[in-house]
Amino acid sequence: MSIIVDHVTKSFSERNRRRQSKLVLKDVCFEVPDGEFVSLLGPSGCGKSTTLTIIAGFQGRDSGDVIVNGRTVTRPGPDRAFVFQDYALLPWMKVGENITYPMKMQRVPKEEREKRLDELLSLAQLQECRDQYINELSGGMKQRVALLRAIACDPEVLLMDEPLGAVDFQMRKLLQLQLESILMQKKVTTLMVTHDVDEAVYLSDRVIVMGRDHGNILADVAIELDRPRDRTSEKYHGYCDQLTELLKTALSGEVFTKEDEDIMNFIKNAEIESRRHC
Amino acid sequence: MEEKDQLQSRQWKSFSDRSRTMNMGTQALKKLNYPAVTMLLVLMAAWYFGAHVYNKPFVFPYFEVVMGRIGEALTDLAVLRAIGITMRRVLMGTLYGFIIGLPLGMAMGFSPLIMKTLSPFVNAVRQIPTTAWVPLAIIWFGLGDGPTLFVLALHGVFVIILNTAAGVMDINPEYYNAVKSMGAGPVEIVKDVIFPGALPGVITGIRLAMGMGWMTVV
Repeated sequence: MSIIVDHVTKSFSERNRRRQSKLVLKDVCFEVPDGEFVSLLGPSGCGKSTTLTIIAGFQGRDSGDVIVNGRTVTRPGPDRAFVFQDYALLPWMKVGENITYPMKMQRVPKEEREKRLDELLSLAQLQECRDQYINELSGGMKQRVALLRAIACDPEVLLMDEPLGAVDFQMRKLLQLQLESILMQKKVTTLMVTHDVDEAVYLSDRVIVMGRDHGNILADVAIELDRPRDRTSEKYHGYCDQLTELLKTALSGEVFTKEDEDIMNFIKNAEIESRRHC
Repeated sequence: MEEKDQLQSRQWKSFSDRSRTMNMGTQALKKLNYPAVTMLLVLMAAWYFGAHVYNKPFVFPYFEVVMGRIGEALTDLAVLRAIGITMRRVLMGTLYGFIIGLPLGMAMGFSPLIMKTLSPFVNAVRQIPTTAWVPLAIIWFGLGDGPTLFVLALHGVFVIILNTAAGVMDINPEYYNAVKSMGAGPVEIVKDVIFPGALPGVITGIRLAMGMGWMTVV
């Protein structure tokens, strides 16, 4: 159902300097209503991944509340499925075992698990990989397996941390398409962390832009476009430009990591594109 | 020397053997480590001719004489029985070391607190030479198998602890979060993440412990 993040504050104690801690999130508030796909967009170090892991329950918060489906989050749980940036698939299990693992944990009977596995594998066209080990798969396949594992138990909420960050451009476009079609069939409440403007506009119902100032929310943009989305439409470009502009303020010219470089490149490309249109 | 060569070639074989679909005959041929066999033949020939050229059997015995003695020893029942006893001791010693070392190593690898608490003791006791333990072991366990097993287990336990702990620390921390978010409890975390993740380290530990066992058992 829904995710409510209410005045969440989080600081990390710094290793070198004791008694001094770094404030990462300060009074972060937002909501993801039932069945909506929301993206958290922002430059590196804005605390977007931290927010996501707090919602998942992987780490605590100093103050504030995270409420998922009316329950306050205290620890990780199967009601919130998580897709990791580096997949976190267990390499000592086969593809099939990885995908059925959450069902096994929920004590789903074996026949039912097998049936569901067949269903899921055909959904992502991975039938022939069932008995392969994770190391034998390509990056894109791993990503699909990770997604199937996450949705295997029909979670109420799906949390994704840069789910397509580690695959190449072509594969990314393809996976976005597949991700959309899978999620449209299920209508799960989804929160995705990304630094890719195009990806955010393509997949989300709403995009929340976070800034570097302790995760302050710069903007909350509803994407009102019909699905599947048309990348060539005027409105689509409008949203991309709007978010790019917002990211530019969020970055304020400070490039720290590869992630920020990606954003800068995107901004440059967008500017070139818009000049061509004029 | 022959024994060592064989051991090494077996290791190489197990590393290089990736094809398990072949039929048995060709598989055995493919598995044979030809470079090592050639090397063995070269060494044997060098020994044979070297000994004859040097011609002082007391300092450098002839190859054929040594081989004859090995043949005699291997057909002697008393020697075979002794080898059996030694093997049993090494295996038992390693097993005890494994039983104690595995949980300790897993705990130390998993929890930084346990690591911090125990590692000074493990590292201190580890340095005590085997021979220093022997008198104490005899006082504690009397004569016979007792002290031998104690010393073997003691030797094995540290190797297994260190390798298991290293194996556990190598596990990607995201795996813990992943299985927790899928509803796994402590038992499943040990069974599905810590144990399989540490397995390569554990196996290395057992291998080293057994190898060291053969050296210390004498």
